[in-house]
Amino acid sequence: MELVIALGMNGIVWGLIIALIALGLSIIFGLLDIINIAHGDFFMVGTVLAWFVFDTTGNYWLAFAIVPILGFAIGAVIEYTVIQPIKNAAALSIVATFGLSIILQESVRATFGATPARLTAPIEETVPLFGLEYEVYRLFAALLSIAAIGCFFLFLHRTKLGTWMRAVRFDPETATAMGIPARRVYMVTFAIGFAMASLGGVVAGPITTVDFQAGVDILPFCFMAVIIGGLGNLEGTVAAAVMLAFFEGVMASFTDPTLARIGSLCLMSAVLLVRPHGIFSGSTR
Amino acid sequence: MTAAAINRLGLVVVALLTLAAPWFLPLLVDGFWVDIYAEMLIWSLLAASVNLLFGYVGLLSFGQALFFGMGMYGVAIGVAKLGLGFWPAFGLGVVMATAMALVAGALAVRLTWHYFAIITVVFSLIFYFAALSWKPLTGGDDGLSFTMPPIVSIGEWELSLTDPTVQYYFIIAIVGVCYALMGVILKSPLGAAFRAVKENDHRAALIGLNVYLIRLTAFVIAGFIAGTAGALFAFFGRYASASYMFYHVSGEAVVWAIIGGAGTLLGPVVGTSLLIVLREELSHAWEHYLILVGIIVILVVIFAPKGLGGLWQALVRRIARPETPPPSTDAKGEDLP
Repeated sequence: MELVIALGMNGIVWGLIIALIALGLSIIFGLLDIINIAHGDFFMVGTVLAWFVFDTTGNYWLAFAIVPILGFAIGAVIEYTVIQPIKNAAALSIVATFGLSIILQESVRATFGATPARLTAPIEETVPLFGLEYEVYRLFAALLSIAAIGCFFLFLHRTKLGTWMRAVRFDPETATAMGIPARRVYMVTFAIGFAMASLGGVVAGPITTVDFQAGVDILPFCFMAVIIGGLGNLEGTVAAAVMLAFFEGVMASFTDPTLARIGSLCLMSAVLLVRPHGIFSGSTR
Repeated sequence: MTAAAINRLGLVVVALLTLAAPWFLPLLVDGFWVDIYAEMLIWSLLAASVNLLFGYVGLLSFGQALFFGMGMYGVAIGVAKLGLGFWPAFGLGVVMATAMALVAGALAVRLTWHYFAIITVVFSLIFYFAALSWKPLTGGDDGLSFTMPPIVSIGEWELSLTDPTVQYYFIIAIVGVCYALMGVILKSPLGAAFRAVKENDHRAALIGLNVYLIRLTAFVIAGFIAGTAGALFAFFGRYASASYMFYHVSGEAVVWAIIGGAGTLLGPVVGTSLLIVLREELSHAWEHYLILVGIIVILVVIFAPKGLGGLWQALVRRIARPETPPPSTDAKGEDLP
């Protein structure tokens, strides 16, 4: 029973981190119509940058401030050089971001090396929770993810830039005609997507291993969350990520992690086949 | 010369070079390039199966590695676990891949576009993880290796792929048959139906085509092609492994197909050859050559969205134009397709 609780809790924590990352994937898809195969690698770049910050300054907390800013800058550069020239060609976007994924992975391997590293959590205490000693860092990671997701939704609904983003998503032509600089909105959106994935990397760094292939595992999970939640449905993405990870965590306590992953993949194909627009959509669009 | 004649001439030259490769490649570069040439042809079949679906029917499948892996495991399990001979194992691989494509396709082709691309990844991931965890049958992480059974053996005499020349010509023969088959299908009314579905599935349905059945047919044929490639690759490497079922392998096939030029029969060969030659040439010079491959992929997507096949067609049209009499003397008509 304790194992079920522990893995279920880990599932929820992991799900919140995935939700943060998948949200980035979802806004990039929703606004730019780009299927971003490199999104898992954005997360991976976040973990590696966090490792670099920790390695040079010895302070992991700095990474929470520095890495998302670096991620935003890298995202803006990538949008300008790779994404803008292929705007509105979804099939090409898959190929281009696949190329991007190769570049990011190989650049990290060239500078960081191929051996996975482990980061020690900045908080090492545990607290008693539901009859088990639970790591405080994981609780902090969950709270930080919730805070970041909350901030993003506030940004989207309360600021001028957020309103522009929603307007461009709704109708790019009219938005441009109204004087909204759509191209700059695209660039900021992509950069925010990168920043969110890299922040997810900083949060998850002490929980997983730091490795140039870390993104390969996480990408299908993000896509699952985005699809089950409904493409472009941001709240659905968050809910789906947490549910999926919880489901996988609890399943993993009964069988083994691989079978649990197969289970959640089967669940996802069932959702795709029965309700392709996600389980949270009222009706088909 | 007309554009079609130039293309035909190019095809003949490539075919002759391919047949003569075991003689001139060792003289020009190195003997091991013959193997690389053979590998190129096998991988180009995987890219061709992506191209058949994406370039002709408009379905972007990111899961063709599933059928490639099924072909591999069919052969490896057939030989190593069931003790089958060469042809029965080959048959088992192809049949397993095609049957898998029928089942997966029956579900997947109900969806289109992003949903289709994603469900094909999901299907291939399910079987990737299944192959990883079902160790007694698949060997898990280590894969499954086997000793090569002979193709035919009559008394003392036997023909086997352990002879590199036999292996090379066997691969060429099978790959050639697959391309010929695709060529015939694409020229047939079925091929026309494929294109109709790609252009506009609503109109295709209105003129009485069964869109679901046409997409499923294409999916099964593509699964058959990918499975054949997988079976050949299992014989080529004498093993099967789950890593070939991972979505990254599918992704590479998609990249090769689009770089080569989706919607042209030989585009996948061009794309696959280019990237494998790059890999072989650059990997010796620079350990992190993949960065360059990624950059090339992005540059081709940006500057040649129709792929290298599209560039070639444009080049041929430019060469051919002065020698073809214009259909009308109207100068304005020149820019029309």
